[in-house]
This record gives sequence, C-alpha cells and structure tokens, in this order.
Amino acid sequence: MIPSISSSRFYRVSYLCYVLLFFIFLITPLVVVAAFSFNDSLFPSLPWNGFTLDWYFGEHEPRLGLFHDDALLESIGVSVQVATVTTLASLALATCNAFLFEREQFPGKNFLYVLMLMPLVVPGVILGVSILVFSSTVANWFEVTFDYDIEALRPGLVLVALGQFAFITTIATLVISARLRKFDVTQEEAAMNLGASRLTAIATVTLPFLKPALLGAGVVAFLMSFENFNTTLMLVGSDAPLTIAMFDRLREGSTPVLNAVSVLLMVGSACLALISVFTQRPEKE
Amino acid sequence: MSAGPGGSFSRTQYRLGFWLLLAPVVLWLGLLIILPHIDMVLVSLRERVASRQYEFSFSNYITFFAEPLYWNTFVRTAVMSIVATLLTLMIAFPVSFYIAKVLSGRPKMALFILCLIPFWVSELVRTYGWMILLRETGLISGALQWLGFIDQPVELLYNDAAIMVGLIYTSMLFMVVPLVTTLDSLDNSLIEAGYDLGGSSWHVMRSIVIPHAMPGIMSGCIVVFMLTLGNYLTPTLLGGKDSLWFTEQIYTQFITRFNWEQGAAFGILLLVLSSLIVWAGLKVTKQSFTRVMS
Amino acid sequence: MSEQAFVSDASAEEQEDLACSLLSKHFGDFAAVDKVSFSIARGAFFSILGPSGCGKTTLLRMLAGFQEPDSGDILIKGRSVLHTPPNKRPVNMVFQHLALFPTMSVAGNIAYGLKRKGIPKREHEALINDVLDKVQLPGYGNKRIDQLSGGQKQRVAIARCLVLKPAVLLLDEPLGALDLKLREQMKIELKRLQQEFNTTFVYITHDQSEALVMSDQVAVMNKGRFEQVGTPQELYYQPATAFVAGFIGDSNQYVGQVQEQSGETITLVTEHGVRLLSHSSQPMPAGAPITVFIRPEVMQISMVKPETEQDNCLQVTILRTLFDGARSQLQVETAEGAVLTVALPQTADFHALEPGRSVYVSWQANQCLCFPVPAETEAQPEVAQ
Repeated sequence: MIPSISSSRFYRVSYLCYVLLFFIFLITPLVVVAAFSFNDSLFPSLPWNGFTLDWYFGEHEPRLGLFHDDALLESIGVSVQVATVTTLASLALATCNAFLFEREQFPGKNFLYVLMLMPLVVPGVILGVSILVFSSTVANWFEVTFDYDIEALRPGLVLVALGQFAFITTIATLVISARLRKFDVTQEEAAMNLGASRLTAIATVTLPFLKPALLGAGVVAFLMSFENFNTTLMLVGSDAPLTIAMFDRLREGSTPVLNAVSVLLMVGSACLALISVFTQRPEKE
Repeated sequence: MSAGPGGSFSRTQYRLGFWLLLAPVVLWLGLLIILPHIDMVLVSLRERVASRQYEFSFSNYITFFAEPLYWNTFVRTAVMSIVATLLTLMIAFPVSFYIAKVLSGRPKMALFILCLIPFWVSELVRTYGWMILLRETGLISGALQWLGFIDQPVELLYNDAAIMVGLIYTSMLFMVVPLVTTLDSLDNSLIEAGYDLGGSSWHVMRSIVIPHAMPGIMSGCIVVFMLTLGNYLTPTLLGGKDSLWFTEQIYTQFITRFNWEQGAAFGILLLVLSSLIVWAGLKVTKQSFTRVMS
Repeated sequence: MSEQAFVSDASAEEQEDLACSLLSKHFGDFAAVDKVSFSIARGAFFSILGPSGCGKTTLLRMLAGFQEPDSGDILIKGRSVLHTPPNKRPVNMVFQHLALFPTMSVAGNIAYGLKRKGIPKREHEALINDVLDKVQLPGYGNKRIDQLSGGQKQRVAIARCLVLKPAVLLLDEPLGALDLKLREQMKIELKRLQQEFNTTFVYITHDQSEALVMSDQVAVMNKGRFEQVGTPQELYYQPATAFVAGFIGDSNQYVGQVQEQSGETITLVTEHGVRLLSHSSQPMPAGAPITVFIRPEVMQISMVKPETEQDNCLQVTILRTLFDGARSQLQVETAEGAVLTVALPQTADFHALEPGRSVYVSWQANQCLCFPVPAETEAQPEVAQ
C-alpha cells in the first residue's frame, strides 16, 4: 500500500499499469490536437497526409493559417484585453478581501465569508444569465426613466469582464488569504516601530510578502478569464473572445487552423505555468 | 488584540479603514451575485401578458413540470452529473493515492504537475481533442479498423458514453488536486500503525485513509458535480443535437427563443438542484462548507 | 508596593529617559497592568522580570505604542507620548521573534527605519556599515535574512533599531528562541552593545538569569504589579516579598508558624515540626502563618556536628545526590520528614556521600528569610522555569 509495507509483485505492477493508463488517458487528447495541427489535410482527421505548417502560416483560403486569420487574431486580442482587465480588478479586490477576512473582526463575518464563497458553487451558466438579467433590468429602467441607454449594460465585453470578475475574485481571495494568514503581524508592528505609518508598513512589508501569492493568483485569474466559456457565452455581444470564436467554428466544422490555435494556447499556458512555478520557488526552501 | 496593530490609533481612523475594506466586497457580492440572483427569481415569477406588460405568475414553473421534455432533461442532467462525479472519484482516488503516498520526492512532484497540465489548457481544446479521437473519421475508429475489429468506420461521438468520457476528463483535475492535498497530509506512520495493529489493507483504507481524506473527497465531489451540472461545452460538442443537457435548455430559452422568463425559471431550478445536492452531500458526510471550500 | 520609591523631583526627571506613572491596562475584568510606576535613569539596562502572563508584554507594548493604557502616563525624555502613534515615538523595539523583513536584505532591514526618517540616501551606507561593525557583522549587508544564523539575526534586529539612535530600546524576550549556549553568549553581547551605544535598554524576560546577568536594575513583576525594583544583588539577597524570594534563585520553601520573636530573630516551627531560627525585619505575632526561604548554597554540610554554635543545625539523612557539575545538589531528609535541597560543593570532602548516610546541615538565622503568608491566598507563588 505504501512503500514501507510490502505487497505482492502482481499488485505493484498492476497498480503501476493503472497509473500509466490514467496518464495516457490524460495526455492523449492534447497530443492528438497538437499532432493534427501539422497534418496536411483540410480536416482535422485521418488519414495522415504528411507534415505541413500551413495551418500556422498559410496565406490563402482554404489553407488560411493562424497568423493570417484576422478573425481569430482579433478574438485573441479581445480575450487578452478582457483577461487583463479582469485579472487586475480581481487581484485588487481579492487583496482587500484578504485583509478584511484575515485581519478584521466584525459581526456577520462568517456569513459574509460564506457569501464570498458562493460564486464557486453557482454554475457558470447561471452566473452569466443572472448578470444578464439584472444588467438589462437596470438598463431598461434607466432607459425608461432617463431616456438614455447605457451601452455597457447590454451584452458585450464589459459584461463579460464583470461576469468573470464575479467568480475569479473568489479564487484569488482564497489564494491571497492563505498567504496572508502565514504573515507574521509583528512585522508590520516592527515597521511602524521603525517609523512607518500603517499604510507605508503594508506597502513596504506586507505587500512584498504577498507578492508570490499575487503573481500566482494573477496567473490563475488570467488563465481562468482567458479560457472561460460558460459565463462568457451568456454575456457576449458582437465582439467574440477566443473561446466563443473557436466554439462557433467548431460547431460549423473547421480546418485544422483550430488545432494551431490550440497549440498556441498550450504554449501560452505552459509559459504562464513556468512563470508561476518560478515565482513560487524561492519560498520552498 | 485581535484587531491587529494600530490599537492606539484613533478610533475613527481605524473604522474608516474598516469601511474602506468592507465597501468593495459588499458592492461585489451585492451587485454581481445577490441582486442578479434576486432579480432572476423575480423575472422567473412573471408572465408577459402584452408588450412590456408583466404580471406575477407561476406559469414558467408549471410549464417545466407539465412538459416532459424539460422535466426529463432536468432529471437526466442530474443523474448523469452524479454518475460522472462518482466515476471521477473512483478513477482519481487510486491515482491520487499513488502520487501522495507511494511516490516521493521528484517523481511525485513531476507526476502531480503532469496531472495539472490539462487544467492549464482550455476546456474547449480538451473537448476538441476528444472529438478528433471519437469521430467517425477519428483516431479510435481508425485504430479499430486497422486492428480488424470492425470493417467500416464507426461513429463514437454523439452518444451518452462520449459525453461521460468528456465530463470525466474535464473534471479529473478538480478531483485529483484536493485528494492529493489531503492524502499528502496523512502521516505515513498512521497507516503503518494500522497494519501494525493487525488491520488488513481494506480495513486500513476504510478506517484510516478514507476518513482522513474525507474533506478532500467532499470538496472534490462538490466542485466536480457543480462543474458537470453547469457544463455546456462538453455535452453540446460531444453529445451533439440530442445531448439533452439542461444548460442547453437555459441557453435556448435565453438566446434562441428570447423567452427570459422561462430561462430564468430553468436557471433557478438548476441552482436549487445544485445547492440541494451540495448541501445533502455536506450533511451526509458531516463536513462544513467553509472548511471544504478552502 | 513600589510607588513610594519613585517620588520624582524636577532635577531627577532630566536624567530619566523613560518614566511611567500609575500606568494601567485592563482586558475586561482582568488587570494586565495595574498602576505601575517607575523611572529609568539615562543609559541604564533595566529589566522587567516576571512569569508568563504577569503583564510584562502588555507593559512593553504600551511603551511602544501598540496598546493604549486605560490610565496613567508614559514620559520619554520628560515628554508624554500618550497621544503619539507608534511610528512617531522615539523608542524602538526588538521583537520576540525579531520580525525581520524576509523580503529585504540585511542592509534593507537596517535602511528601513532610515528611509522612514527621511535620512538622505547617500548617508545610508556609512550608517549601515558603522552599525554592522558595532554588532560585529561587518560585510553582511547584502546577505538575505534566511542566510543568517539565529545569533546573527539577533544582531541585525538590534542593529536595525540602534541605527536610529532611539531614546529607549525595548527588547521583548529576544533570546527566547536561541539554544542555551548561544543564549549565554548573547547575554554578554547584549550588555556590551548596551554599553557601547550607551542607550537605555528596557528588557523583558521570564528568565531570571538573563535579567540578573545583564541588568543595572530589575523590576520583578507579578499579576500586573511591580513587586520590587532593585539591583540584581538587592533582589537576590534582600527580596522584599515572598514572591520575589521564591522567584529569584532557588530556595527551600516551608510553611510554618511563628513561635516567638526576639529583636530581628524569629523562632518558627515548620509544618513538619522542624524548629528553625530566621531573620525578619518586620514584627510578627506568635502563631502567625509564615513562609520561610532557605537558599541551598547557604547551608553547610558536615559529617560531624559542627563545633561552633550554629543558629540552625539539623541532623539529616541523604536521600540522593543530584549531580550537575558545579551546580550539584544533595537532597536530604530530616527526622521529621522535611526534605531539603542543599548545594553540594565539588570538593574531595564530599565524594564519599551516599544515600542513607547521616550528615549535618547548618546555617545562620540571618541567612534565611521569612514572610507572612498573605491572608487572601494560601497559594505559593509559582516559580516559572
């Protein structure tokens, strides 16, 4: 069962095989997606027609490559914008939340904490729908009352960012709170004792301590926003973020350019993962 | 002093800081979570009688119960989500145990990170991978032909099994991570003591390992169940037109038919179902929500 | 019981770096600090010694400004700092767990206070190098905090404060986390630093050895009050209260009753029925319950009954030897069943002592002290660590 307890050879080998099968199961779909981005065929399916880079660099229809497909490139740009805004906003609020829940005592704190966790247990589709309903209620009321249409409250990128912000903040709060809990408060006292005001103490001592968590939460927030589908689907307007654009093409049936986009996403995610691993590393000593 | 440093600061300055911290979280939860859900309940309880004329009514909920299609889709979604959650747990537990308890040092970290990799890639890409594998002209069909098991291409996509595979695959991460974390915190000497006192493998597993891992099992199950129930992408892409997933009904009502009242009612029903099952799961295993979530 | 000693006059105040008057702090009904008054002469090493929970940390935090007193006043260099926030007070503190900033280098930690004071950046390097030399860590400026040993961290924590030239340096049990050997070294080191910087140190600790070795003045604190303030010698040889007598140094303690008093000598009978003579400066009525304290090192061991007349001389049986090098002790029992611990000099005379053997222990009346048992509590003061 554990290495210090002996077990039969058959048991150990079959256990190992199971784990191997599991990892094959885990990795195959990704390998397949990546492999077919190099297949010289109009469809991402068998037979294998040889190697090509057309799906990255092809310049003309029907072999339009990723780097010349303006619609896809534009949707990547949209996703980056939304993810950047969402990440920054949720990090700012999550940091406030961490200080509120770790440092302050107030009546109803537990209730507020449970409420803060709620976005994690609301299905993404419903979160999107509820924000859609509420924002249009507000927008309609505004239009009737003041005869002015607030464009931002109609489906579009502002709502998409708000919807993602609503649940990503919870995740960022959990990450940052966990780090803040490890912080020795006397360090802030020491800073004040050495002449810092309370805000200076937080800025010069506490925030540098939180930096690895802020970076880690930032990377997770960015990816979650970039890859979000459910909430985004309900709130999207005319500008489609990447996941929506890919989904539409996937349903229509598309050339392997989608595989090329997928490879790009994998590379991007891997880079972000490496960044977050490296920033966390010095803490491990 | 639990309020932290600054006890000697003037009271007003201290309170001001507190309100400045409290305001954003209240605005966030109020404007983006609570009010939207209240508004959705209100919308679900009205019926359009004329243009811009609404009145209070339960008709949207009555429609749900009266129409077998909606009702069946709902039950089917719930049952399949539960099955997917249990299967995920059963597949993930041995692997998590292997990573947490059998391996150590570098291989352990490597395998754990390998588990995380699919999480870093969009769900869309993962599902796309399964489509390429399962479709009629896909890899598995091709492999089966090449091996001689079948003599013509077979469509493996667009059925419940395909949906199930996709759901399990997508959810695996959210099960493995909490399981590995809790199992890792179990002291090996407890397992050794169990054996030393004469327990069998099965008995040690049941009376020592599983109780210890319960918070991880619960939090994994809750997250997986939630994600499965609320999934839209996987059933739509792998299940095709007849996937009959409840989120698709919500989407149809809102976006295709523009019947927001009906869609809101569906949303509330799904939310109630998900909350009920999460609550029941916590009650049965006697875990607390805040502990499981964080 | 210490207030009377600190009636301050105007001329004295100029010589004081720190003074408190009737300082109190309550948490609910619990008086953590109860009407404490004291003043500390410029450049003194002042220790506050007491068991855990006696209120010494609360007192220190009030001095640093992290807690507000309910009543009373704190004067630093003759000026009240009651309404001064912690970052504006001319005191600096070495925290119990040091609270060095792990995100900064050694130099960064030391520069932190300089930056807050607005000292121009070009002067930093000279100041930092100077203070690092003084704490004997030359060239350590670029090290990370986690590269330092426990003793080096101590020095950085002290340097970080002393570079700011505070009026008073507060130290909150900074040696608690060190192992025994290092602690002995740091005691001497701290005393040296205090003399070199000529800064007033206020040092709180529950370890009497730290307080006695380093301090010019020690205040013994118990239940929120100062029991006695004095030099280490005064506390050891002339404890003012039963608590101080029990807390400072080792003692054999017995409960007994006064039999009679003649002058400053009291005849008493312990609960075991042993008759003893003891010194006492205060009058005590016959029959009054008292506690008597006899230090292990005042008792003489002899194989035969001493020829010279001794105030107290008991024939005892050896129970066991507690060997601890120079601190070795002998446990003996009187015929009445009272157990005594006696210091055992490591000389050749006593190597043959073995359990069961009968010996004599003797001491003079003025070498033991007795105090009346307080009426409200019968409980003996707990001797911490």
